[in-house]
Amino acid sequence: MAEYIKLIDVTKCTGCRGCQVACKQWNSLPAEKTMFTGSLQNPKDLSYNTWTLIRYDEVVKDGRLNWVMRHDACLHCDWPACAKACPSPGALVKTDEGAVVHNAKYCIGCKACIAACPFDIPRNNPELEKMAKCTLCYDRITEGKKPACVTACPTGCLAFGPKEEMIEKAHKRAEEVGGLIYPNNPKYETHVLYILPAGIQASDLQHTNPNPSMPLSVLLWKNLFKPFTLIGIGAVAGGAFLHYLIKGPHKVHEKKEGGE
Amino acid sequence: MSAHDSNLVRITDVEERLVHWVLAASCLFCLISGIGLMYHSWSIIPTLLGGHYAAKMMHIYSGVIFTGMLFYSAYLWKKDCRFEESDLQWVLKAGGYLWPVENLPPVYKYNAGQKAFFWCLIGCGAVISVTGFLMWLWNPVSVPIIIGRLSYMLHAGAVVVLAAFIMIHIYLGTAGNPGTVSAMITGYVTRAWCETHCPRWYAERSKKPEQAA
Repeated sequence: MAEYIKLIDVTKCTGCRGCQVACKQWNSLPAEKTMFTGSLQNPKDLSYNTWTLIRYDEVVKDGRLNWVMRHDACLHCDWPACAKACPSPGALVKTDEGAVVHNAKYCIGCKACIAACPFDIPRNNPELEKMAKCTLCYDRITEGKKPACVTACPTGCLAFGPKEEMIEKAHKRAEEVGGLIYPNNPKYETHVLYILPAGIQASDLQHTNPNPSMPLSVLLWKNLFKPFTLIGIGAVAGGAFLHYLIKGPHKVHEKKEGGE
Repeated sequence: MSAHDSNLVRITDVEERLVHWVLAASCLFCLISGIGLMYHSWSIIPTLLGGHYAAKMMHIYSGVIFTGMLFYSAYLWKKDCRFEESDLQWVLKAGGYLWPVENLPPVYKYNAGQKAFFWCLIGCGAVISVTGFLMWLWNPVSVPIIIGRLSYMLHAGAVVVLAAFIMIHIYLGTAGNPGTVSAMITGYVTRAWCETHCPRWYAERSKKPEQAA
C-alpha cells in the first residue's frame, strides 16, 4: 500500500470552512455551540467533535498585514508520539498509508496521547473517557477516495496523493510562491505538509510547532524507564537469588539451640 | 506462637501490620496492573483484570488507597526511620546484610538500609501519587500540556527506582533473613533475632518490660 500525504497550500485558502463542514459531515460529528471571540475562527479550538479547524491569523510583516487562514488538523506523524504513548493496543495505530488512526473501541481515555502529541491535536471527552482526532479519512483513502476535506475544498488549497508526488509538488509550489514548507524536520516526518505564504514562518501562526520532534519526556518514558522497570526488577531478583546461593541467608544464631 | 512464649518479642502492633499490608497490596497491584498497561506485550494482565479500561480504573482506585496508606505510613514510621549518626557507620560496613561483618554499630529499631527504603518509598511514592492524580484528573483544555508530559514521565521514572527497591525489601524481609517475616505476620520475633537486628531497641525494651508490648 502506498504512503500518502495531504498537502495544504495555505496561499490558496480563502477560509471558506468547507473542509471543516465536510469533516463533520463525513465523520458524523455534531455541531458545537459557538460564540464570537473577536475572530472569524469558529469554534475557537479543535475539540472532541471538531477534528478540522480553519485558524485565522493576522500577521504584520514589514508593515504589511497578512491575513493567514490555515487548515488545522492531525499531521499524521511518521513516528507518532501519540501511538508510542498509548497504553491500549489498537487504540492508536499508524497504518501503512501513513494515517494515524484512533479506535474508540480500544481507547481507555487515559490522555497519554494528548500529553505526547507535539502538535497538540488529540482532544478528550471527559464524559465518554475517549479521545478523538482526524483520521485522514482512513475509511475513505483505503477505498481509493480522497479525504472528505480535500474533496470539499473549492480552491485547490488541499491536495492528497502518493507521498513522493506530493513532496515534489510541495517543493515546486513553495519555490513558486517563495514560501516555506512546514513542518520541515527531516527527522520527524509527517503525512501532512503545509506551504506557507511568502514571508510567513510557522512561528508567526497560532497552534504550530516550528520544530516538531518526539517529545523528550516520551522518549525517556518509553525508551528508558519502560525497559528499566522490568530490567530493575529482574536484576534485583537475579541478584537476590545469587546472593542466596553464594552467601546464603543471614541466619540468627539461637542461643538455646547452641548454633554453630 | 503466643505472647506468653518467653522466647518471643512483640515488635509490631496490629496498626503497623495492617498499614504495611494494605500499602503493600495496593502498591503491588498498582505495579502489576501498571506493567500490564505500559507493556503492550503484557496485555494478558489487563485482559485478566477485565480489559484495559477496567485495568486503568482499578489501577487508579488502587492508587488512591496507596496514596492514603503512604500518608499513614509516613505518620507511623517517620520517627523510627529518622537517620542518626550511627547509620553512616552501618552503611560504610554494608550492614552485615550481604556478608558477615564484625563490630556493627548497634541498630535501634530499623537499620540504615530499612530507613533508606522507607524514605525512598515516601519520596518515590509521593512523586507517583502526585503525578498519578494529575494524569487522572488533568484537564488538557485548562492545564498546560507540560504538566501532563512531566506526569507520565516522572510516574514511570519513580517506579523504576521504587520497584527495584521493593524487590530488595521483599528478599531481605523473607528468604534473605530467616525469622524476619513473622514480624509483619504475627508481630512476634525471637529474642535472638532482636539481639541481631535491633539490639539497642531490644536492650531498652528489656529494661522496662512493663511498658513494652
